[in-house]
Amino acid sequence: MAVKKFTTMAYSNADEMVFGRAKSPVKAGLGLEIGAGYTTAEVNYAPRPEAGETKEKLVNEYQRITRDIMARMVQVGFPSVVLETEHVQQMTNNPTWGAEVAHAQKTIMEEYHEEYGIKCALRHTPGDVREDKDFLQLRGDKYNVVMESFEAVADAGADLLSIESMGGKEIFDYAVLRNDIPGMLYAIGCLGSMDMEFLWQGIAKVAQQKNVTPAGDTDCAQANTAMFIAGGLLDKNLAHTLAIIARTLAGARTLSGYEAGATGPGKDCGYENIIIKGITGMPMAFEGKTSTCAHSDVMGNLIMQCCDLWSNESVEYHAEFGGTTVQCWSESLSYDCALMNTALKSGNEKILRDLLMASDRFRDPQSYILAYDNAYKVGQAIVKDGNDIYLRAKNAATECCNLLKSAEGLEMTKFETNALNKAAEELAVLTSDSEKFMSDCMEKYKAEVKVFKPENYAL
Amino acid sequence: MLIVDKEGILIRYNVKMEKSMTPEDAAAELYSKDELNRAIAEAIFEGEEDDVIEGLKAAIAAGKDPISLIDDSLMVGMKVVTELYDQGVIFLPNVMMSADAMLEGIEFCKAEAGSSPKPKGKVVVHVAEGDVHDIGKSIVAALLRANGYEVVDLGRDVPVDEVIACVKKESPMMLTGTALMTTTMYAFKEVNDRLLEAGIRMPFQCGGGAVNQDFVSTYELGVYGEEAADAPKMADAILAGKGLAELKATFHKH
Repeated sequence: MAVKKFTTMAYSNADEMVFGRAKSPVKAGLGLEIGAGYTTAEVNYAPRPEAGETKEKLVNEYQRITRDIMARMVQVGFPSVVLETEHVQQMTNNPTWGAEVAHAQKTIMEEYHEEYGIKCALRHTPGDVREDKDFLQLRGDKYNVVMESFEAVADAGADLLSIESMGGKEIFDYAVLRNDIPGMLYAIGCLGSMDMEFLWQGIAKVAQQKNVTPAGDTDCAQANTAMFIAGGLLDKNLAHTLAIIARTLAGARTLSGYEAGATGPGKDCGYENIIIKGITGMPMAFEGKTSTCAHSDVMGNLIMQCCDLWSNESVEYHAEFGGTTVQCWSESLSYDCALMNTALKSGNEKILRDLLMASDRFRDPQSYILAYDNAYKVGQAIVKDGNDIYLRAKNAATECCNLLKSAEGLEMTKFETNALNKAAEELAVLTSDSEKFMSDCMEKYKAEVKVFKPENYAL
Repeated sequence: MLIVDKEGILIRYNVKMEKSMTPEDAAAELYSKDELNRAIAEAIFEGEEDDVIEGLKAAIAAGKDPISLIDDSLMVGMKVVTELYDQGVIFLPNVMMSADAMLEGIEFCKAEAGSSPKPKGKVVVHVAEGDVHDIGKSIVAALLRANGYEVVDLGRDVPVDEVIACVKKESPMMLTGTALMTTTMYAFKEVNDRLLEAGIRMPFQCGGGAVNQDFVSTYELGVYGEEAADAPKMADAILAGKGLAELKATFHKH
């Protein structure tokens, strides 16, 4: 697949962006069109650990999950739903397992679609198993296993193909624990982008052959690691200003998937998707207040501001007072979507978008930058040098620092401000020569990070 | 675009509660009065490996014993860092960088002396079989080392057999296991069962990602570690004579 870099924004200004509407909607599955004027819940789940013991148990677990969700959707009268199955390792490493699960799920969804007309689609997200015990192994045998898994689930009924790719993580894990901004830039902006470009050309090719949608990726492995280490307001593990710098770098990285053939909807845990939507105009999934079953964040309302799919990240399947977990969370998500769809239908979508945004805008440096107006500015900084993966990532991080430094109404601790100032200084003195940056980093991290294998990136 | 004043909507408690003292000022209050030791402690606090070595060279030239310097200077300097981390004055990356500098200093002292000191205790750390997410384990290992414990790091995706063999060989005071995924954490139960079969009753601290207290409570040796920083605290508690029941009473917070 050809790679086409983004050098302009899809939207002429930030205010154009709303939830439920994307410049380039995506038709998928059974009657669904994502980003075409309405929002849809995307329900995500994990089997109980003991279900992974055998293929039969696992297939049975996913059948229960699927039936529970579809039944609750029609019981409460929701018009559409997306189900996302993030593979447990067994399902990707044994492509027939993933295929049997996809087939079993899609069969149930087809029954509901035929009987009730509910619009629905199935996303499958194979695990990025491209690694050995000690090292990433991004190219070679493990890559082939991942591609076989995509082919198998697409044949078996998956409508949307996604992955949470790992490229750059070996350097990032080292850099983030040392406040190493150039290292984070190299890991996310350069290595991550290079791997995504390689990987997504392959996924897009499979999707084209199987006539399904190459949906999108996320920088979960890095930007979410930073967000989770940063934690809540009182946690002391990483400055939140550094976590949001990692997120803006992820904007430049995750874009690479869409340049290599992905079309959206982007993956739910990519909080950078607001930047991506501004650049690509493609529909995006988000998670926030309804993913507290999986993790906490500091922007639960705000991140809903421009979603096309609204997700719960993941919840283990088990019983709650109100039904099974997937029933409870799918219902919560769908009520949120009903509210957004009411706003869209009545012409009040920008009011609701702004209420969501304003309620969290000043909660944290992370929410401040991901507010749609600021995220749009980060997007502009990326496309300014869209053809150069290093420069565009550097631009994103620099714009993030500039926006935080000039922020009005956002309170930051001295620690956050000091970390921000130090990061801005380090970014300011970085070379504008991509090749020099790449070769300097290669030498430095080959010496410092023993698990770094440049051949993973064809270096 | 709608901008609403945050008053009454949210409170940035971290700003409200921030201590007025800078980390450097707070560290200065804890440094040793001995000039040679103070220089080493300052270098550890700054995470400057070269300065740590320079400080050690100066102390050895002044007649100090390299092995004694590990306990009397390097560990004391590192304690300033871990204390300030526990107090919330400094953040984890500072601890990581200080630990790197301290460990380099320890290697230097060992090379100078031609011998090794006795550590506070030995801990085996690993990531569950099938799980390759190891940043949590790396933090646990660094914090344990920063607190003077010897760490045997088995790495990630460690087969249960390998964990058991290592515990039999090393006889650690504690085993830790981390996992991100619900599907891999089941290996902890197997580790627990195999340890009991072998007659080994040892605290097995488990944490990370999807691991929760309810799950860890289902096997006898399991003690839930909610945060990486609990690992050295748990090791300290074991050294102080606390058994499994007391550890669970202390660290099971929910």
